[in-house]
Amino acid sequence: MRPAAPLWVLLPALVVLPLLALLPGMSHGGGWELVGQFAAAALRPSLDPLVLGSVLGGLAVTAGMALLAWAGSLVLGLVLGIASSRVVWRTCFGSSAPASWIRRLLAIPRSIHELLWGLLLLQVVGLQPVVAVVAIAIPFGALVARVVSDLLDALPTASLEALRCSGSSAPAALFTALGPPLLPQVISYSGYRLECALRSATLLGVFGLGGLGTELRLTLQSLAFNELWTGLWLLLAVMLLLEALMGRLRRRWAMPARLGLAQRGVGRQGQEMVAVAMALLPVLAVVAWRLEVHPAALLEWQGLPPLGAADWGAVAALPWPSLIGNTLVLTLVAAALAVGVAPLLLVLVQPWPAAGALVRGLWALGRLWPPPLTALLLLFVLQPGVLTGALALGFHNLGILGRLLLEATETSGGNQEQALLAAGVGPRLALLYGRFSSLARPYLAYGAYRADVILRESVVVGLVGATGLGSQLLEALSSFAGDQLLALVLAYALLTLLGEDLSDRARQWLLETPHGDGHPQEAGGTWR
Amino acid sequence: MQTDLHLTPLLSLQSITVRGRSQPRLDGVSLQVCAGERVALLGPSGAGKSTLLAVANGLLAPERGRVLWQGEPRARSGRARRRQQARIGTLWQELRLIEELTVQQNLNAARLAVWGWPRALLNLLVPLETQACAAILQRLDLDTSLLNQPVSALSGGQRQRVALARLLRQEPQLLLADEPVASLDPRLAGELLTLLLELASPPRALLLSLHRPDLLAGFDRVLGLRAGRLVFDQPRASLEPAQLEELYAGAPRS
Repeated sequence: MRPAAPLWVLLPALVVLPLLALLPGMSHGGGWELVGQFAAAALRPSLDPLVLGSVLGGLAVTAGMALLAWAGSLVLGLVLGIASSRVVWRTCFGSSAPASWIRRLLAIPRSIHELLWGLLLLQVVGLQPVVAVVAIAIPFGALVARVVSDLLDALPTASLEALRCSGSSAPAALFTALGPPLLPQVISYSGYRLECALRSATLLGVFGLGGLGTELRLTLQSLAFNELWTGLWLLLAVMLLLEALMGRLRRRWAMPARLGLAQRGVGRQGQEMVAVAMALLPVLAVVAWRLEVHPAALLEWQGLPPLGAADWGAVAALPWPSLIGNTLVLTLVAAALAVGVAPLLLVLVQPWPAAGALVRGLWALGRLWPPPLTALLLLFVLQPGVLTGALALGFHNLGILGRLLLEATETSGGNQEQALLAAGVGPRLALLYGRFSSLARPYLAYGAYRADVILRESVVVGLVGATGLGSQLLEALSSFAGDQLLALVLAYALLTLLGEDLSDRARQWLLETPHGDGHPQEAGGTWR
Repeated sequence: MQTDLHLTPLLSLQSITVRGRSQPRLDGVSLQVCAGERVALLGPSGAGKSTLLAVANGLLAPERGRVLWQGEPRARSGRARRRQQARIGTLWQELRLIEELTVQQNLNAARLAVWGWPRALLNLLVPLETQACAAILQRLDLDTSLLNQPVSALSGGQRQRVALARLLRQEPQLLLADEPVASLDPRLAGELLTLLLELASPPRALLLSLHRPDLLAGFDRVLGLRAGRLVFDQPRASLEPAQLEELYAGAPRS
């Protein structure tokens, strides 16, 4: 008895059953009225010019920070990615060993969530616009570097060898042979990073680094739901516009899609892409000037409160097993929720287009709504704890996975689904059998990657308490316990590195096609 | 009884029009297929053969005209229409098997229209109705050990037959086939056609699109489709070579 591919996709949704059993026990029943008010306010966002002005101002700051951080992470990622590519080292210096070392080093900045970078930098240089930008650019840059080096090393090398044999210099041969096939993949991927940067910039705002996120948190905490929704609707509009624009550009430039099922591969209209990239430069300069982002501010450290002598005994006495255990439970529950519920919902609403649109709207909200805010909202009715945090993170990632799944269902398995529909099979079963069969492996592989991201993200719901390493870390930060902070950041980094390794293995296992018709895996790292 | 069956049309299309970008893909096409009939649909590429078959199996709703199944208008409600569609089986040119599932699961996928959710899910977990599936494989000269193989592990010839097996498993009354021999070598093409004609024994009927007039032996009736219009509909025996020449004359080569 071995479950077939379409079932794998639905199995993670089983996590809903124990959750449904546990939720009544977790609810304290106090705030249903508040939740109702929150939901009702969705239809009546405040249109007060003062509110609109401050929300728009916040949105501009957040978008500007995201844009700068994104551009920074791309530059950083390209440089570091080339520096950590095996094929580049082999071609230029004859040995690929240094590439592996640089890769390992880059794993450290990558394993620390942008929120932690932000809060750490905040302690060191104070509240500066540049903090959020750098905080996002560091881990994103390391991530882009990994993707770029993975892509580079996966490119066929025949033309590179041919150029080398005919006497081209190493850099010229690399640029000519690998540049053109690399470019469309990097650009396609960087489009997704811009969306991620916008989400991260909003999130950092929630923790006080300015912009719309700060507005959202303040309005939520003062229960000004109508004003909250003004910000939410605007953010939703911007996010959907951005996603639509990116999708458009990807199609126009024939970029590879994220799940890589419908590989179109070749990029078109190279000049146009370069022109757009060039046009971005002055935009970035203006944004940096308007936001008063001064990189030099990073060098002016503020006086830190005196650190007490490190008390390693107290550090060792932290309840490590439960901290780590809770973090893992939170990650697994959130990942299973996100991975399993997305296809389940798609199947459930398949016959009704209107319900489908509703689900898509819900997912869009989940994507843009920062998880700590969801967590705060959940606290109106639930007790703080691991599951509350998991629900918040799960909802957020459900939005991300759901959209990905939807994109993928639109490009793959259509023929099989049609064949079933033509034979009188109902729309739900046709979707399950016809489309999910071919999607299962790449989708779950992406889910494995997402679980790894969720582990890193678990720190952001730390503020609802009792969620393991995350909440302990935030506590250590606010009490200036440098020794604890160091130990916890290290533990986090170690855990995420282990998680990354595990998720890489899971992905490899899922993507190795048993019968060698080789469709899903070529996309390699492009779907990060 | 036999004659009765012949008198009741299984499928009738009445003045079917399907719009296309610049010109209609089907332009007022009317035809009937009766039980026991083997009908070949000829025409150059782009004549609208696939569109006609898509209207027949219900994937495409025509802008104008009526589709009748056994004298009843095609149902509007989902459930009733699916019940009608379940009696119409299609053999697709690119087969459309589900690569990731086993042969048996693929065969059973043809029963999903009549199975409920519990069996549909169970089919993804344990082999169901092994005997029925094995019997169909045997009928098509396939080894029953293939039942547990994933489709992605099959050879080209095996896939073709598994697709036929799935068609039989659906227990359709009308078999549709869209250019089933287009990508086959002459020997395989001949074999497949013989098999299809044999499977379409009364009371079943067969409507098959072709663009090779040399393969018409065994069909009762031939339809000629050109630029979305039916240019002839007559018994094969009375078909003149000149009609075929006219059908293909001036048509863009595929």
